[in-house]
Amino acid sequence: MAREAGKEAEEGGEFADFLADVSKELAQSVESLDKRATPAATSPTTEKKKLRTPAVADAGVIVEWPNVADRVIEEMR
Amino acid sequence: MSVVNYGTREITCKIVYYGPGRSGKTTNLQHVYSKLPEERKGKMVSLATETDRTLFFDFLPLDLGTISGFATRFQLYTVPGQVYYAATRKLVLQGVDGVVFVADSQSRQLAENIESLQDLHANLADEGLDPRTIPLVMQYNKRDLPAGEISAIEDLDETLNFRGVPHYPATAVTGGGVFETLRSISTLVLSRLSAPATKGS
Repeated sequence: MAREAGKEAEEGGEFADFLADVSKELAQSVESLDKRATPAATSPTTEKKKLRTPAVADAGVIVEWPNVADRVIEEMR
Repeated sequence: MSVVNYGTREITCKIVYYGPGRSGKTTNLQHVYSKLPEERKGKMVSLATETDRTLFFDFLPLDLGTISGFATRFQLYTVPGQVYYAATRKLVLQGVDGVVFVADSQSRQLAENIESLQDLHANLADEGLDPRTIPLVMQYNKRDLPAGEISAIEDLDETLNFRGVPHYPATAVTGGGVFETLRSISTLVLSRLSAPATKGS
């Protein structure tokens, strides 16, 4: 497992166990993705465009949903 | 619809916790958040009403670190379970990679579980996602309640889990079953990452 920034040894408990388990799966997926990547994909590309969800770019502050108040009102109706 | 960005070497996966109101979706995320090491702890965003009901959604970014050269992040969301927040649920489901359906084990909540599951299927279909194939894990929460008040796992499974997906009993309020559920859905999502992308599968 090519975990480069791993700190599992320092991270006790449930999260460390979780991370250890999913890392193996993730490494396999990444390996498979790398094999599938074509030489043309050398420039920054996104394999599949993700639909936007009201995302939180900065901790605690919703900056990409300016009409949040409108939506509150809409939902409360 | 995981984002795999070769330019920046980033992978982002979105997991949504779905289920009826007060089934324990936010509690799941709160437990995960409480177990994160400090250096990985971002901020969990929760928009709740004065009575602690989720108003829009909860959002918990989960940084898994760099694996095989890819910075990997999971984004965990919950939807508001109450029926009148239908528009928000549809919005949060956009671009979902995997779903955890948090069912309330209480016998009297069975109809709400079924209604929420039907709502999930309808919203997934609206998003062009096949409810029969999207990574899904069932969690039967509140197993700590008295036996007389909750349905048997087998009964819940027979009623709700028609796909036969992995299912986990849980007591999210004390953390029981929370990480088992997350581990399961994460594995399903990641294994699908390497599969050829086909819409609705």
